[in-house]
Amino acid sequence: MSTQLPEVEVLTDFAVREHRSLWLDAWRRLKASRTAMLGLVIVAVFLLSAVGAHFFWNYDPKMDLDYNAKLRAPNLVSTPEKPTIHIFGTDKLGRDIFTRVVHGGWNSLRVGLVAVGISLIIGCLLGLFAGFFESFDMNFKEKLVLMSGLGLALGLLPAWIARQWFQVLLFGGLGAASVLLEKKLAHFKLTRLLFALAGMLLGGVSGLLVAPLVGLVCAVVGLMIGILLAKPVNGKAFSSITMRIMDIILSFPSYLLAIAIVAFLGPGLEKGMIAIGVVGIPIYARLARSAVLSVSQKEYVLASQSVGEGHGRILFKHVLPNILSPIIVQATMGLASAILSAAALGFLGLGAIPPEPEWGAMLGDSYKFLSSGAWWAVLFPGLAIVFSVLGFNLLGDGLRDALDPKMRAK
Amino acid sequence: MAKYILRRLISVIPTLIGVTLVIFLFQRLIPGDPAVAMLGEHATEENVARIREQFGLNRPAFLDRDALVEGDLPGFFDSQYVRYFSRLLRFDLGDSIHRRIPVAQTLKERFPATLELALLSMFIALLVGIPIGIASASRRNSWLDGTTMIGSLLGVSIPIFWLGIMEIMLFSVFLKWLPSGSRLSPGVSITPVTNLLLLDSLLTGNFAGFWDALKHIIMPAVALATIPTAIITRMTRSSMLDVLQEDYIRTASAKGLSERVVLYRHALKNAFLPVITIIGIQAGSLLAGAVLTETIFSWPGIGKWVYDSILGRDYPIVQGVTLLIAIIFLLVNLLVDISYALLDPRISYD
Repeated sequence: MSTQLPEVEVLTDFAVREHRSLWLDAWRRLKASRTAMLGLVIVAVFLLSAVGAHFFWNYDPKMDLDYNAKLRAPNLVSTPEKPTIHIFGTDKLGRDIFTRVVHGGWNSLRVGLVAVGISLIIGCLLGLFAGFFESFDMNFKEKLVLMSGLGLALGLLPAWIARQWFQVLLFGGLGAASVLLEKKLAHFKLTRLLFALAGMLLGGVSGLLVAPLVGLVCAVVGLMIGILLAKPVNGKAFSSITMRIMDIILSFPSYLLAIAIVAFLGPGLEKGMIAIGVVGIPIYARLARSAVLSVSQKEYVLASQSVGEGHGRILFKHVLPNILSPIIVQATMGLASAILSAAALGFLGLGAIPPEPEWGAMLGDSYKFLSSGAWWAVLFPGLAIVFSVLGFNLLGDGLRDALDPKMRAK
Repeated sequence: MAKYILRRLISVIPTLIGVTLVIFLFQRLIPGDPAVAMLGEHATEENVARIREQFGLNRPAFLDRDALVEGDLPGFFDSQYVRYFSRLLRFDLGDSIHRRIPVAQTLKERFPATLELALLSMFIALLVGIPIGIASASRRNSWLDGTTMIGSLLGVSIPIFWLGIMEIMLFSVFLKWLPSGSRLSPGVSITPVTNLLLLDSLLTGNFAGFWDALKHIIMPAVALATIPTAIITRMTRSSMLDVLQEDYIRTASAKGLSERVVLYRHALKNAFLPVITIIGIQAGSLLAGAVLTETIFSWPGIGKWVYDSILGRDYPIVQGVTLLIAIIFLLVNLLVDISYALLDPRISYD
């Protein structure tokens, strides 16, 4: 007995594509690019070898010394005269260069990562806020925080001059007052004069308690602060002040500034990280700001604003995820240039303190022995720098193509 | 137009003051007492006191609030920063700690060497970068284009100091073709006119001197030129690719103009603006890169001088050179902005 079962028809709607997330899409494009995968492999090899060496391969640079084996050319097989194998040769103190290159990776890559971390976090936050408040009006609470903060900060000057720290609070209050009274004074023409007088009195009277001249100076400073605080500043002013400060940092060629900072701080890996990190802040601030400016006019942001979402939620749930891709690309490229800067610092003797291994410092140590023909002592640490930097650059290039298909053509 | 230039000039002033502030603050980064740092740890107390007096280190950094309490208004403004700034206005960069010579004087002597190196590097970068960029844009996805892209990526990945070392190893140590340091061989002299040796030797018709100077400068100039060359190549290529997709390029080819004319007369002119910006940015990094290149090649310019001063902890020199390079960087970028407005009529001046 057989019954004819109705054929189950599998419906395939070719118009509906299977759902793929943006990141999965990007990953597929990245995988398809041979150069990007090469970059990824290089980066992975360097990261794994550096981390592996640091945790699982004991090496004490202070004890590593063998004058009998100094400046030996690379040998791959063990011979009676040269029993130990040094595939990269040895340096001026008879240290195995291969060991030091692998261990040096930990220091060199760490400097790059921490430095980029510093510039990424600070720069992005500054750029996010600058761009956001340039395109959205601040609400009452934000204005209140900004103006009292500004009042407190400006109040530091007269407070410091007169050694009266309560003045900080007075000017903070003046800043808050300008927000609180904004509506009431909207039609009052002499607001600036009123605040100037108030500032002059606040500074002058408290300054007079110390000395007459202190009172005079504090009155003048208070007058100026009063004028500044009279009208609540808007987001545009905040943004342009932030960007002006960034411009000042950018007006130094970046690694010259890093070299100069460390020259004054004194050598050390941590100082190098901080210097390279600070110097990189403006790049991310500018990038984040311009990305926020372009995103914040998009319909989905306006929509979330019109349904009444808070500013914090809009900023971190709608704006931030949509500006991530240029920042990721920049951070990858930034890692490459941070490693280069770190190597430059090390080469000039401003990075790792000897005998700690670091690629740049190894080059700086060995290049003086060049005339004796010891090419291996400078070739291999240099190649390590070139390949790690190249890896991050290849990966960054590939990421840009993968994350922004419109740019792919270039 | 004049108004635009004037406004751009004025807008540089606050940045310039900010730059002097940053450089002044360097001094505060020195751990411990700067006077002791200058003299070394075994300095006598009188010497330390003398240095503190001489450099104004006994004055407060920005404002003297104690003077105010005593009723001394001018004293209120008599601070280290104000003194530093007013000295700068008189082109006084302070004295070298070790040699007690004005920093500005040595700067004037050593700057031409760096300038010559930077100019030649920029010349090489433009000479190589722009034609290759154009060629690889016009033959997109060819083997030439692929090689160019990989080459330019490699160019920004090589540390210039390592490239310099490798050059010395190959051409000076093993092949012995080129000298590894300084500007001239001993015994060769060139009558100074501009202090740019290549130019001076040509001006005075001293061809032996020119050849010698060229042999000395070529290795450091090539090392210094790698990064700008790579970046200018990339920028020219991508800017040309943009322009080549425009309608007027298709029109130009459609009406039968040769590829050469289309590329150089129609495309390049329009593709050049972003390249100029990059040239401006690279000018600053060339001067900064000179610190590394000059160190390796013992080039007697300001870069080597800074390196020696960092090792000798001669802080006024480091401050002076950093300030000079930052100012040049600012001015070059100002020129780029202005030339941008001159070249592109679409940019409004107001």
